[in-house]
Amino acid sequence: MARTGLQTARSTTDADRATVTPPWQVVAERNLPTIAELTWLADRQTGALARIAASGLPDSASEAWRYTNLNAYAKRWSGFLAAEQDTNSVAGSPSPSLAASQTVSPQPGPDDINLDLIDGRLSRLPGEVRQGLTIQSFRSLSELSRERVDTLLQLQAGGTSNDALVDLNTALLHDGLLIATSPGQQQLPTIHLRSHLSATSLIQSRVLVDVAPGSHLSLIVEHSGAPGCLSNTVLQIRLGQDSRLGLVRVQALPGDGMATESTLIELADAAELAVTSVDMGAQLSRQTLTILLAGTGASADVQGMFLADGNRHIDNQTSMVHKAPGTTSRETFRGIADDHGRGIFGGRILVLPGAAGSNAALTNRNLLLAPTAEINTKPELEIYVDDVRCSHGATTGQLDANALFYLQSRGLDAADARKVLTVAFLREGLSGIPDLALRARLDAQLKARMGKSSTANLRMGAPA
Amino acid sequence: MSSSPALLEVRDLRASVNGKEILKGLTLTVNAGEVHAIMGPNGSGKSTLAYVLAGRNGYEVTGGSASLLGQDLLAMDPEERARAGIFLGFQYPVEIPGVSNVYLLRSALNARRAARGESEIDAVGFLRLVKDKAKLMKMSESFLQRGVNEGFSGGEKKRNEVFQMAVLEPLLAILDETDSGLDIDALKVVANGVNSLRRADRGFVLVTHYQRLLDYIQPDFVHVLANGRIARTGDRTLALELEADGYDQILAAANQ
Repeated sequence: MARTGLQTARSTTDADRATVTPPWQVVAERNLPTIAELTWLADRQTGALARIAASGLPDSASEAWRYTNLNAYAKRWSGFLAAEQDTNSVAGSPSPSLAASQTVSPQPGPDDINLDLIDGRLSRLPGEVRQGLTIQSFRSLSELSRERVDTLLQLQAGGTSNDALVDLNTALLHDGLLIATSPGQQQLPTIHLRSHLSATSLIQSRVLVDVAPGSHLSLIVEHSGAPGCLSNTVLQIRLGQDSRLGLVRVQALPGDGMATESTLIELADAAELAVTSVDMGAQLSRQTLTILLAGTGASADVQGMFLADGNRHIDNQTSMVHKAPGTTSRETFRGIADDHGRGIFGGRILVLPGAAGSNAALTNRNLLLAPTAEINTKPELEIYVDDVRCSHGATTGQLDANALFYLQSRGLDAADARKVLTVAFLREGLSGIPDLALRARLDAQLKARMGKSSTANLRMGAPA
Repeated sequence: MSSSPALLEVRDLRASVNGKEILKGLTLTVNAGEVHAIMGPNGSGKSTLAYVLAGRNGYEVTGGSASLLGQDLLAMDPEERARAGIFLGFQYPVEIPGVSNVYLLRSALNARRAARGESEIDAVGFLRLVKDKAKLMKMSESFLQRGVNEGFSGGEKKRNEVFQMAVLEPLLAILDETDSGLDIDALKVVANGVNSLRRADRGFVLVTHYQRLLDYIQPDFVHVLANGRIARTGDRTLALELEADGYDQILAAANQ
């Protein structure tokens, strides 16, 4: 029997450890020369690899990673590599079948464009793409698209220029997806992107979205996966002047899935962004959402919702950067922690000196349904200009005793009343989803989940 | 003891909130078909009586009894009391975003039906029922789909309470200061709603601070609650007397 990577790691001394090749190095060295269609990306990948080799994965020493430890994530990856060496399987890109995506059952509208991203690769190009819309894989980019991709790959949305997870993603890319609109296109179909993960490697998905000036786009991204899946996704999005984007992101990974996700969005003058983020699955999920209001009068509305029940660990770190004058942001994140679940929310508002006349509001509301569950919330304001209006607030509590009694006084028994209120609390987080079928589906899933969770009925703590 | 039990029979009821005794031996009988008004100054225990009868947490009964058609109310959970026929109209109706009015009403009706061993109400019949009652309360049908009391004005909330009562058809309705915060038009709508629900097998307890409501809903009995007990009982002329003279005289007598 071959020794696995884990056994190797255990048996090394501190002195040896420095010489153990980190997993990203192993995979990158294997991948880099093999994908002919991505040679244009090679320099960028080499640079990113050097940075991630120097920095390593984020650790809890940094404030943004205080509550989320990536050790189990790194360990699972090493396990994949070891198993791969054992079976001598072909490295790189597994080719899971679409049948593996049994966890998703979307019912998109008739005019929607459905895209299946399997392990970061488009399973097929949509047969007929509407005029005004470009959908291309990184391996088959037109010259014009390559320029766009090059720009978008560098988009940082005012975040740090040295983000380890974005570098990791870049270094190990084996494909990617570009979605771009043409200027002025306002009647485009909704794009429904289903990103499905298999369980055999650390999957890097990269999605770039370019919403051209004056165009309107609605994009739904749903994450699903096979048991034990592992992924690191990066979304980079640019909104041109007067453009609009509705982005719905649903994380519904299996209960033992692990995922990190970085979403970086930049808005030009008078662009409008509406984001709904939903976390219902995974064992470990960490999303970093960074929005840069770079153009005058740009506005962003973010609604987030998470359900951290079972042993789930769900971490959302959002950052709203006001850079230009007259920019507006409104953000409401709500979460539930139950059983041994843990929910983490960090919400940062940064108002830079140039952003006079800006308006920012941030609310975080949480329900703690079991004494063994945990919520950590941290709203943060950094303001470098006088003429702004900012508000923020965070609450963590139990169900409202008045509302419980009200429902009971109408004849609902205590358990039902608690379930109704819990679902209602989360449902508010779905109210911004324009696709009614999707909203109804998520609503039904929530109801089923709260119905199953016996703790929701028994332990929600009758108010004293 | 051959006569059938009263609709509501409260005997020597004592109740405390946070260790402080509020009801100090209250006795009250409401027969089917009767409307009783409970009046009294602030802090006399009017709302406490309403909450104790509906079964709210935090209101500790320390003595006495309360029964609905002979069933011991105090042994029941709030939802069991509701299914047995008690309805509490709240002084401050609670806003519940994310739960629509129709959803609440359908759940409430079905909970009652299940308790009686009946099947769930059919969708068509339910819709017809709520539309009829909404019309009675001059409520737009769009209210039905909105979150319970969400963003409603004070008057709309009170109207919604009476609307719920009309749909749920209780045996005993306890309306806690349903008149407070209403302008005269809303007051008339609410009073009309209540009057249209008066029936030989239904009783009402109207908790109110002001005589004004009783111009529109004529009570069979008026009780003055003072210092945790019924200090005086009369017919509707008592309310007019209170309006003219205030509570002082009665309070003085009660405190002796």
